[in-house]
Amino acid sequence: MVVSGNGRGGGGSGVRRNSTGLSYTHDGQVYTGLTTETGSAADITQSKGDEELAERRVLFMGMPRSGKTSIVSVIFDGTQAYETLGMLPTVLPTMYPLMAGIVVYDFPGVDDYSETQYNNISESVYEGEHTSLVYVVDSQGDLQASLSTMYSIIRTAQSVNADIPINIFINKVDGLSDELKQDTQQDIQNKVMKTMTYESLNSTFVQFFLTTIYDESIREALSRVVRRLVPRYNTLETILNSFCSKSSLDKAFLFDMNTKIYLATDSTPTESLLYMFTCHTLAAIEEIMTLCSSYAPMGEEETGMQKTAVMMDGNTRIFVYQVNSCLALLCLVSLKVPRHDSLLDFNGSKIAKAIRKILP
Amino acid sequence: MGRSGAGKTSMRSLIFSNYSAHDTRRLGATIDVEHSTVQFMGDLSLNIWDCGGQHKYLENYLNEQRENIFGNVEVLIYVFDLETASRESEYQLYDECLQKLGIYSKDAKVYTLVHKMDKVPDPEQKEARLEVYRRALAERSGMFKPEVFGTSIWDFSLYHAWSQIVHRLVPNMSTIERHLEKFRALTDACEVVLFERATFLVVCFATSHETVPQGRFMTVSQAIKTYRNRCSNVQESFRSFEIHNKNYTLFIEPFTKSTYILVITSDPEIEPAVTKANIKAAKPHFQDKLMI
Repeated sequence: MVVSGNGRGGGGSGVRRNSTGLSYTHDGQVYTGLTTETGSAADITQSKGDEELAERRVLFMGMPRSGKTSIVSVIFDGTQAYETLGMLPTVLPTMYPLMAGIVVYDFPGVDDYSETQYNNISESVYEGEHTSLVYVVDSQGDLQASLSTMYSIIRTAQSVNADIPINIFINKVDGLSDELKQDTQQDIQNKVMKTMTYESLNSTFVQFFLTTIYDESIREALSRVVRRLVPRYNTLETILNSFCSKSSLDKAFLFDMNTKIYLATDSTPTESLLYMFTCHTLAAIEEIMTLCSSYAPMGEEETGMQKTAVMMDGNTRIFVYQVNSCLALLCLVSLKVPRHDSLLDFNGSKIAKAIRKILP
Repeated sequence: MGRSGAGKTSMRSLIFSNYSAHDTRRLGATIDVEHSTVQFMGDLSLNIWDCGGQHKYLENYLNEQRENIFGNVEVLIYVFDLETASRESEYQLYDECLQKLGIYSKDAKVYTLVHKMDKVPDPEQKEARLEVYRRALAERSGMFKPEVFGTSIWDFSLYHAWSQIVHRLVPNMSTIERHLEKFRALTDACEVVLFERATFLVVCFATSHETVPQGRFMTVSQAIKTYRNRCSNVQESFRSFEIHNKNYTLFIEPFTKSTYILVITSDPEIEPAVTKANIKAAKPHFQDKLMI
């Protein structure tokens, strides 16, 4: 097992990555590069199975060149989409830690699922009630081969963990029209469900996502995958529901600032366009904050609780309340109520405090 | 002006017409001259002549149309394509343009933009290539002392270059700068920046830092311009930003009819509401007295 380091997929560099690219921190300081996680020293383990698997994990699997490492790299390392074109194939499984103890594992691609080739991956990776499988399918490639490899993996996974959630990312759909996207998804969905039933595989926990690294669809998909793994998700959802109703919000998200993945949201349906808009808003805030990096003293530990307000010409407003160094609470309001904003501020900071207690 | 495919129309669309960098792919070759008028900073009206770079048009400009094209010119912006196959022929064209300019608009100011700098990823190499142009152009330009910028539609360098260009064009710029500095001092702000509303180019700024690295505020220009485009995708239109934390408070707000203002305060004793009130109070002064 290799901890993801400086390079792409593979060569451990010894520092456990917590955040790279533009990092939103409590003191507003932006730093690129790697940070050491508090506590654990630099740890390179190239041997398999020595490191303990995280309790809550997402496993990225798929054929070679299906896009797994590109996806993870864009989300976690802030790589630009076009930079992923020249990426080397992943050689060893790499881990990417997310907030709240959730870890994403990027496995090397495999061509034929055969016993000999899968020596490196023990069955134990699939175990656990907080494990989720993501299978990345290259929609522009050989579908048949990809799916048949997938069935083999699912069979192995379900033999140790019957209820493991299976998320199929139909990747590389950039350039397809909306209609074609829907058709492709429908087509794959039908094929998969039919085959799984035929092969007596459990298809109750299968979800499909259309993804491309050229927009926020990968983040949205991963947010939905991760939702089931977030500790005390129900509590978080209840809190956010209560927050939304008491403060007349349209929507509230709990975002991980580095990856722009939301860990929790209230129970109203989340529209893709709205989610993408919030991602763009967060990106704009980050860029503006780079201007002020000189005002934040280096290496300050105490969290400063930032509040950001973005106003639109209409009544729509977006408020972002910082929860801790990685998380922020984003609220969308479109109701115009006098003296609403200061109440919202008060509520927002209270909710942020509550979330801090729930998520360590 | 510049050769065909140098990037003139892309630049213009990006800065003045809210195109995103991706959208510029859709642009075709410019036919003859495209005229557009842009209102800048209230009363200032910029007539932009985007001259198609294809050979047949160039012939036309330099001969039959030369008085029309090169007469009454305030600013000539010449765009060099970093990717060009033949730098020598570009220089020749440049020479001819300057020669005509010298005849018909002796007082014009010349800017040269070395475009498509994103093709050279390494910053040192970028600087080296730019230096080559600088030296060559210094020799060839005679009485016009052109300012040379390296630009790309993919980063803020384009905003930087154009901000400098329009900075010179605003007639009462020094007065505006003086008043802005006064405003900054009175509000105890660290930095105050004025942006033009439509293009978000930096008009001028006042800062309490001794040295300001060039292009600092241009990243804001680019970020907000991009964000604005994205807002329109969800049928919203961006108005203002406010960031408040323990170390600083930042406002980006509409200011006068033609400007936006950015104010950063880092004194924790200054309540954000006070800064907001100050901005509001200063509006009429800038709007009426300075006519912006």
